Amino acid sequence: MTTRAEVTQAADYRRPSLWQRIIASEHLAGWAFVAPAVILIAVFAIIPIGWSLLLSFQANNLLAPGHYIGLANYKALSKDPQFRAAVGHTIVYTVIFVPVSVLGALGLAVALNRKLHGIRFYRLAVFIPLVTSTVATGIVFLWLLDPTFGLVNYALHALGLPQQGFLQDPNQALYCIVVMTVWGWLGFDVIVYLAALQGIPQDLLEASEIDGASKWATFRSVVLPLLGPATLFLVVWSTINALQLFDEIYVTTRGGPLGATTVIVYYLYEQAFQFFNAGYGAAIAYVLFVGILIITLFQLWVGRKRVYYTS
Amino acid sequence: MKRICLLIATSVLIVSGCGSSGSTNSPTTTGSASASGSSGGHVNITLWHGYTDVEGTAIRALATQFNATPPNITVTPQFYGNSDYALQKVLAAIAGGKPPDISYLYGSWAANIATNPTTVNLAPYIQKDPSWNWNDFWLAARNVTTVNGKIIGVPALIDNLALVYNKKLFAKAGIPLPTPNWTWTDFENAALKLTDPSKKQFGWAYVNDASEDTVWRFWAMLWQAGGSILSPDGKQAAFNSAAGLKAMTLLQTLAKHNAIYLDDGSDVYPGVFNSGHIGMLWTGPWDLSQITGHQPYGVTILPGDQNHQTISGPDNWVVFNNGSARVNAAVTFLKWFTSPAIDLKWATMTGDLPLRASVAKLPGYNAFVQKYPGIGEWAANLANATQSRPVTTTYPKISTVVGQAVQSVLLGKADPQQALSQAAQQVNGILSAPS
Repeated sequence: MTTRAEVTQAADYRRPSLWQRIIASEHLAGWAFVAPAVILIAVFAIIPIGWSLLLSFQANNLLAPGHYIGLANYKALSKDPQFRAAVGHTIVYTVIFVPVSVLGALGLAVALNRKLHGIRFYRLAVFIPLVTSTVATGIVFLWLLDPTFGLVNYALHALGLPQQGFLQDPNQALYCIVVMTVWGWLGFDVIVYLAALQGIPQDLLEASEIDGASKWATFRSVVLPLLGPATLFLVVWSTINALQLFDEIYVTTRGGPLGATTVIVYYLYEQAFQFFNAGYGAAIAYVLFVGILIITLFQLWVGRKRVYYTS
Repeated sequence: MKRICLLIATSVLIVSGCGSSGSTNSPTTTGSASASGSSGGHVNITLWHGYTDVEGTAIRALATQFNATPPNITVTPQFYGNSDYALQKVLAAIAGGKPPDISYLYGSWAANIATNPTTVNLAPYIQKDPSWNWNDFWLAARNVTTVNGKIIGVPALIDNLALVYNKKLFAKAGIPLPTPNWTWTDFENAALKLTDPSKKQFGWAYVNDASEDTVWRFWAMLWQAGGSILSPDGKQAAFNSAAGLKAMTLLQTLAKHNAIYLDDGSDVYPGVFNSGHIGMLWTGPWDLSQITGHQPYGVTILPGDQNHQTISGPDNWVVFNNGSARVNAAVTFLKWFTSPAIDLKWATMTGDLPLRASVAKLPGYNAFVQKYPGIGEWAANLANATQSRPVTTTYPKISTVVGQAVQSVLLGKADPQQALSQAAQQVNGILSAPS
């Protein structure tokens, strides 16, 4: 390895040129090692992020050269009733999706954290929806929930219950999307909780047993606090995911019926790629970004006060 | 987000996979191109397309045939993946300074593509060369190539909606089969009679996802009732009229009686038709291969009110500027490729409708009609495609508004007049907004 000592020795004889110093520098080797990753991140993340910020100040259809319009996109956004509706749908979705998936996963993880016969099968069953492609999930749900020929309505009919419109009913579609996405994402939350549950030191559980705590009291006062970091992570992560909901909508309802499932990112997609308002779409993306940032910082701030970390 | 990444990764893999399989065919063309590349005056051009299967084979075969003929031009067809994403790829290529010389692009993009400075206006080429016989192309196709007096493409595909019916269900219900003289009343009565909720049987099907698929069927009805989409100057919505109301009311009546199978946009209706649960479809030749061989079916023109107009969704070959030599070569190729004899050859190979009216007079036309039963009706129906959707940059927005209006009536959430008034108000807002 080239050391500074060698460089200083050489300096006795002749001060090395800038180029020689650069070649000999340890920084160079370091940068050389990280360069491939840095270049990839710069090209595919940092430049697009910066470029879309510029785009959000332009009227641009991506076809003809755009022109600068200042904050006009953001001003229009603040008065856009459809954007407001999209924000509303996204909030409703997030407020249901996050608690249902996190609490559901907690229950399932506790149930799966036992020595049962065939436990691997159950764990696999919970995890499979996560590795199933969204397109496949979407098509399966479209078929299950088809108002005329779907299995769910068939079952309702057999039980003498009224037929439902599901994804084709503006009053039900968003809730069907919640069910579909909870089903699809639950596996991830369960895996995180399972890992956290298995990381709980056995001696703490034994201690509480010796102290005579009931199973519920142990769960409430020992297990749950120790799951805090996992819970915080899942809440933050699920919230970000929920606010960025797109794929499932794109595959199934495409924002309909009657705009009932038009969430923020779907609205962005519509504006940028169907109506050729790329500048407006970029402005939506930045508003969403700031929204997510604020919500996440708030969650982390709350978490810092309430989550108990152990080493 | 993870899934989006996966999705992109997979599609990239698929595209590159298809690309490499597609290019296995091209070494001969590239080989000959580079061999003769040094001989002065030889021009190499690329053509981007999304054709697979039969159409993919046909485009390569015809390019090879063209390359073998004198004019010193070599056309290399390149597969760009699904046509749905073609625009993004062409945009990237333009930004990178290497656009294709010719690309297949959807007609609905025409007005927006016209705003790009790289797009070649073909009007001068076509005007100075009468042998194009430009008016021989079907009117609906010509309309979509023309934006503010510029011709931004040559017709690449044309289709239209016709009435497809299940003969068995008509016989069972005891109704005479549809004829070209059918009125809306005949259609409505038949749809109601063919409906039987206990058997989950529907008289008709309608794509109810509020997309353009929902909208264009409504435009056909609007035109049949004598209405128009926009005012003649294009500045006002005109569909909120007696004709619009009549069309919406027909939809409402049939929907209220559960006579319409509402497809959610995932293209389920051909399967439901094949299983004998739908009496009639308004559809185009693209469904022909899906519905052949399941139910005994017939094809005729759409029922009429004031007239029997249909609607067509044409696509274009767009030429991009890579210097005058290559533009001239691209124009030469497209003129040859869409000439009546080659057009008929293409139609016979692929089952696409002929782009030109005069093709029906060629001796080989009967063989084409016999090869694809039912196609003759669609081809003849092109004469009924006398109007087009407005070719404007705001059309996608107008379409979304009207799609919601039609959907709200089909779902029983709004009555026809209310839906039309609200949509017209929104469309007027879109049209008056500064672009």
